[in-house]
Amino acid sequence: MKLYNVKLLTITCEILAQKNVIDILKNHDITGYTTYEVEGNGAKGLRGQGFKNEKNVKVEIIMREDKLSDVIEDVSRTLFPDFAIILYVSDVGVVRTEKF
Amino acid sequence: MDIFQLIQSNLLTPIILFFLFGIIAARIKSDLKIPEAISEFLPIYLLAAIGLHGGIEMRKTGFEEMLVPMLVAIGLSLLFTLNHYQILRRLGKFNIFDSYALASTYGAVGAVTFSVGLSFLKNQGVTSEGYLAAILAVLEPVAFILAIFLTNMAVSKQIRTKKQSFSDNEKSDIDIGMKETKTKLSQVLKESITGKAIVILLGSIVIGYIIGKEGFEPISIVFDELFTGAIVIFMIEMGIIAGQRLEDIKKVGIFLTSFAIIMPTFNGIIGVLVSTALGLSLGGAVMFGLLLASASFIAAPAVLRHAIPQANPSLYITSALGITFPYNIIVLLPIMFTVSSLVHGEEAIDLFNYVTRVFI
Repeated sequence: MKLYNVKLLTITCEILAQKNVIDILKNHDITGYTTYEVEGNGAKGLRGQGFKNEKNVKVEIIMREDKLSDVIEDVSRTLFPDFAIILYVSDVGVVRTEKF
Repeated sequence: MDIFQLIQSNLLTPIILFFLFGIIAARIKSDLKIPEAISEFLPIYLLAAIGLHGGIEMRKTGFEEMLVPMLVAIGLSLLFTLNHYQILRRLGKFNIFDSYALASTYGAVGAVTFSVGLSFLKNQGVTSEGYLAAILAVLEPVAFILAIFLTNMAVSKQIRTKKQSFSDNEKSDIDIGMKETKTKLSQVLKESITGKAIVILLGSIVIGYIIGKEGFEPISIVFDELFTGAIVIFMIEMGIIAGQRLEDIKKVGIFLTSFAIIMPTFNGIIGVLVSTALGLSLGGAVMFGLLLASASFIAAPAVLRHAIPQANPSLYITSALGITFPYNIIVLLPIMFTVSSLVHGEEAIDLFNYVTRVFI
């Protein structure tokens, strides 16, 4: 079966930044994403203990390459200074490219 | 009764002991943890119980009585928030974002602190006015809205002065700043009004008002008799979280540490005196004072992280939860109770009787 190349953007951030991330996606007409709550350690210390507000969340978005750099730029500009956030991009293959 | 004795016997109540136990459990790195679902459920339960109780009481007293205390509480909350800001900014030399975030954290109310206060009064055999639950609901967003409004005004003013050197098109910048402020404020207002804390509180007040005392009878075993026990379980969780943050208190600094103790004391005692002048009962004045003394640590991060993301969250969470909350429930409650007893001309009721009854 033929696989088509698209990009997977993964953003791990504090749970209170999730709404901002999804708003940015919406601004770029991206409606599909997957989130899950995660815990971990990083520059801002051990996160995920205590209140739900202090958990981390992982947002995965599959998208075409043409939108990628705009989305990343928006996230970096608005969220990098104030939030605990990590972002990375990987190449993935999908069967139904028309879904993205 | 001596104030130190009252503090001492307050220390020996199950609520405080379990809180301290939680801190110890966190310090010895135990894996003790209240399951997440329960620690999310308990604040909802506590607010429902507070609301039901308030609604039933309000049915007896009517609405007119609460109007003046509510307006005074809102006024004081705003005034205190401004006062906090001036102190933090001028004396503490905090940046504008941290100052406003901290000012509103301390201007806002803490629902958990309120619950502990209610059961403290219950131990003392003192009742308080039911409409204080409604004031708790109304007061929740007030300080945040003021702080967010002022922060946005200050930021757009800064942008304006910076841009003025480049262009004369001054009006549009103000418009943009004003527009941003408006959207942010309406968002915060909408989010806090539809937020779970206010929804469950107001909903329970309305239901309590409708069902009255007879309607409450069948559910009183859950919402009345279990109340203090539920707080005790929640206190383990609060103790654990506070214990995990104990190291952060060093980072908070001496100024903020003393702020986190002096301001609640000042605000609380003013609250007790003002509400006594307004004619609130002995217990009501303590709860009114506690509303103004308490700092928000569950609602504050959720609101401030969105509205003032530049502020450092570990400052306001650590000081509110690690310093002010324990101080309020252990030391300040007995102090305010004593002050309220003095101004109400009554002898403080012996808390020790309750303790000996429970433990011996």
